Amino acid sequence: MGKIVPIKTQRAEADKLAAAISEIDGVEAEVAERVSGTNPRPVVLGNSSPESWRTLAEKLHSEHGVDYCSMVTGVHWPEGDEDKKWEIVYHLMRTGIRNPPIEDGLVQPVIVDPSTVRGSGTPLELELHVYLPETRTPSVDSVQDIWVGADWNEKETWDLVGIDFDGHQGMRRVLQPHETPKGFHPLQKQHHLRYHDFQDMYDDSQGFMRKPADAGKIK
Amino acid sequence: MAEMWISMGPQHPMTHGLWTLKVKVDGETVVDTEPDLGYIHRGVEKICEARDFTQITTYCDRLCYASANTWSHSYIYAAEDLLEVEVPERAEYIRLMAIEIQRIASHLMWLGAYGPDIGNLSVMVWCLREREMMMDLLQELGGSRMHYNFPRVGGVKRDLPHGFAQRARAKLKLFLNRIQEYEALFDESTVFLVRSQGVGYAKPEEMVNHGVTGPNLRAGGVNYDIRWAHPYSVYSELDWEPPVERSSIKGADCYDRYRVRVEEMRVSASLALQALDKMPGGADTHHEPGDPMILAKAPARAPEGTTGAHHFEDSRGESMFYIAGGGESRGKQPYRVSIRSPIFITIPFAAKCMIGYKVADIPAIMGSFDPCIGETDR
Amino acid sequence: MIHMASGDWLNIVGWSESLTSWSMDNVHDILPSNDIDMQVTIPSTWAWPEPITMGPIFNLQQGFASIQPALESFMHATIMCTVVFTVMMLTMLAIPYIERKFIGRLMDRLGATTTMRSLWVGESGVTAGEWWKQLPFGMGIPIGWVVNLLNSYWGNSHELETVSRVNNRSYHGYWFLLPGFFQAFADFMKFATKEHIVPKNADKVVFETAPVIILATTIMVFAFVPFGPHIYAANPELSLLFMMAIFGVAPLGVFFAGWASNNKYTLIGGMRSAAQLTAYEIPLLITVLGVAVLSGSFNIIEIVDFQMGQNEGNVWNIFLLPLGAALFLITMIAEVERIPFDMPEAEAELVEGWWTEYGGIRWGLMFAAEYMRSYAACILFALFFLGGWEAPFQHTLAGLPIVGGTFETVFTVVPGLVWVLIKAWLLFAVFVWIRASLHRVRTDQILEFGWRYLLPLSVVNLVVATILRLEVWTGEPWDLWVPVALTLAALVLFVILAIDEDEEALEVQRRPYSTQAVVKASPGSHRD
Repeated sequence: MGKIVPIKTQRAEADKLAAAISEIDGVEAEVAERVSGTNPRPVVLGNSSPESWRTLAEKLHSEHGVDYCSMVTGVHWPEGDEDKKWEIVYHLMRTGIRNPPIEDGLVQPVIVDPSTVRGSGTPLELELHVYLPETRTPSVDSVQDIWVGADWNEKETWDLVGIDFDGHQGMRRVLQPHETPKGFHPLQKQHHLRYHDFQDMYDDSQGFMRKPADAGKIK
Repeated sequence: MAEMWISMGPQHPMTHGLWTLKVKVDGETVVDTEPDLGYIHRGVEKICEARDFTQITTYCDRLCYASANTWSHSYIYAAEDLLEVEVPERAEYIRLMAIEIQRIASHLMWLGAYGPDIGNLSVMVWCLREREMMMDLLQELGGSRMHYNFPRVGGVKRDLPHGFAQRARAKLKLFLNRIQEYEALFDESTVFLVRSQGVGYAKPEEMVNHGVTGPNLRAGGVNYDIRWAHPYSVYSELDWEPPVERSSIKGADCYDRYRVRVEEMRVSASLALQALDKMPGGADTHHEPGDPMILAKAPARAPEGTTGAHHFEDSRGESMFYIAGGGESRGKQPYRVSIRSPIFITIPFAAKCMIGYKVADIPAIMGSFDPCIGETDR
Repeated sequence: MIHMASGDWLNIVGWSESLTSWSMDNVHDILPSNDIDMQVTIPSTWAWPEPITMGPIFNLQQGFASIQPALESFMHATIMCTVVFTVMMLTMLAIPYIERKFIGRLMDRLGATTTMRSLWVGESGVTAGEWWKQLPFGMGIPIGWVVNLLNSYWGNSHELETVSRVNNRSYHGYWFLLPGFFQAFADFMKFATKEHIVPKNADKVVFETAPVIILATTIMVFAFVPFGPHIYAANPELSLLFMMAIFGVAPLGVFFAGWASNNKYTLIGGMRSAAQLTAYEIPLLITVLGVAVLSGSFNIIEIVDFQMGQNEGNVWNIFLLPLGAALFLITMIAEVERIPFDMPEAEAELVEGWWTEYGGIRWGLMFAAEYMRSYAACILFALFFLGGWEAPFQHTLAGLPIVGGTFETVFTVVPGLVWVLIKAWLLFAVFVWIRASLHRVRTDQILEFGWRYLLPLSVVNLVVATILRLEVWTGEPWDLWVPVALTLAALVLFVILAIDEDEEALEVQRRPYSTQAVVKASPGSHRD
């Protein structure tokens, strides 16, 4: 049968990690469970204050072997709590990957048997939330130099949501055109979708003529 | 000759998709690169904030059109996490089969495009013919050739059509024989070996730090795969192992990445065949749409403050959906959908890999990382 | 002139010469033969004592007689150039046709719909169908028997309705080969009517000159290539040298085109092309020199005559210089920039390479020039190595006891042109085969291959040719053991080099860092 990482091992490791990082000031972590379809899996769910984010990130990378940044998401909560107007969600993972050793001039591939992983080689999922209060210039520390995978994720977050990253080298628009006006970040909630359906977009059934309200504005 | 910037794209035969790669060359050697994405940014994340959970599946197919099923399933698992739905086992088997067949089709598309990049024109026609077989199968399941809108929150809408199992087995077995022909055309051609070996080295730890996963990573000699590391679906019930390449000393080169994908096609075919064999209720039984054997009742609303996330092993790496629930229409629409595309992160890494090689290696390296721009730009 | 040993009835050169001399003689005879005195005599005056006579005495006929040889050769050259050019263009129509059809078959491979196999297999009735029934007068009934017989041996199981559902081009009726024949004409019409666009900052003079150079040199090559024993435009003593020299001017045009287009891509493509063509000129020339040394002449017709010999024992050069034939093939593929050596115009990186910026008729003509060069390469291979206009085993077949007479008649009736064309077309099919199966070699690898491997091999070939000519050749037709030994040696070497003796060792060699999939997939692996 296909081997998978046993859930007990993962849960134990997740507990350990959550406990370890909860000791950092400004960080609270617990182990939650996500169930997709049929399989539950443990996830280290953490909240960090913006000040301790950088410390947390460095500790995770150096001491706990979190070597992979999956995604950086920015969310805008204009109707949220006072100090939770902006949220940055980091999805990180520990993969337990090492460069395969070289013996006799040949690379020996590392074939991990999932059912026997233990300890710090156990794959783990982390989801860390950083909340920012109401501000016109939300900003959080960049982790570009810790995980290079966060580089383009941070660019995209700034481009679409408007959250800036301190210390990020080479910030630029990645998904929108380079000449998008400054300050235009479409995923903020004050920008509404113009149309819901194609009936809203076009004046005729075949889709050639725009509605009078849009005449001249867009092609 | 002095250094000069060449712009490859956005209209260029080599770039699989619509993007620009600016390359600084010194004679024939690449000195610096700068990728430029965003040409088909369609704002899917924003659109999804105004759609019901069932309506979003259609958008997810169009994220990576070459590998549509994997993306809609990636979304569906995240939606099921958000809405806390338990999926019946038969539906999971059907989904797994669809995902693996889609993986084969996606890799065939890649191989068919990689050949002409290196100069071999015949393999494109050959691979696309096999892809036609896979698309026929998926058309039977999903209704259309490329964008299937196949899964539903809680299962699948329709069961396997009558006779599907027999056709699928025949086609998959035929396909397993045909792979040997592609290998003959590539592995036994000294020209291909000379073109693809020693080009585009990447080491696993470096790749992981850069956010590259999937076949690109397994080409480096580590067998990391989300399907066993963060298990989902019924992969634990089937007999399979992710294919790994023994890379070269300096890292994974283009040849390794090619070989891994060919072996992955075999593994996926075997997985699909096993899923057919082990399907609860048998592959030949047919349930009506909406039958609880294939579709569980799912709530239409996600309460405020809940989130759903799922890491998924897509044909190109790890794809991920993060959905924050509780939107404007009192929960029927998500508040935020965030999509992680593996190729969005791989392209800058591939661009870095190219530095130091020749201009002629650019398509070889770029093609070997299997870019698909639909998912990059969302 | 050259002493020609071979000939056939299609003596176009002779006809043209006799036509021109006949017509010129007629003109000569028609002209008036009396002297026309147009002298002016200035009578003597006190300034000069003798009368001064100035002016010619015209004799039209004699005047004409003095320029008649020049006129004759001019008219003859015009006629022959036109004839040869027409023959070349007409027969070249087969070239893109072969390419298209053959590559189509290769690419569709197993799908029975578009190969010749589709003529007899009907897969679930969706293939060509029972096309023989459409033949008039019931001519198709025996074909139906043959088809059913073939199906019983090589039909396929109908469970494979999966296969070849797409690309199901069924040719209804018996015109199964003609579809696509007029594609070449349609293409050319399209090119001819397109707009001529010059890039803004391009160097206009050089931009316009480049296609002229390429096309002119390519067509000039055909002036020296004999299509048959008596079909050539010019046949100087050193036709081989002259032709190779002209063949080698085209890289200059390519480089002009690449540079003048004011485009970084074309510049890279032009430089790659210049480097590649230069690198492969030299092995090509040394190989051809080997052939010339072996055949004892720089005249192409004499080279063919050498292969035809006087009687039994004549041998085609390919059996005497197999290495040379292989080298010629490879270097010619590089010279005409076909896959695997088409880096200069590699679509994957450079769009179209050095001719990206050309459109319309200029591109069409340069594209035609590339095919003309391939065609010239094929014909030259047929002339140098495959005996030119000699039918295979011509002397042996004609000397057979009973059927020899039939063969003799066939060989007399069929003009030499036909054999040349058949060999050239077959060789072009080999070019196409190579194109469909191989990958593109990178430029620096192409150059390395040319300088480090082909150049020494061509010198080896020259040495072999010299030894053969000086030591082994006795002036008589070859003994049979010589070509047999050489060909066998070459075949044995080829087989040794091609076969993987030791899987492990060869794996390590071919894959520099011994890559192997460690975990093979469950359904069994392809090669163990």
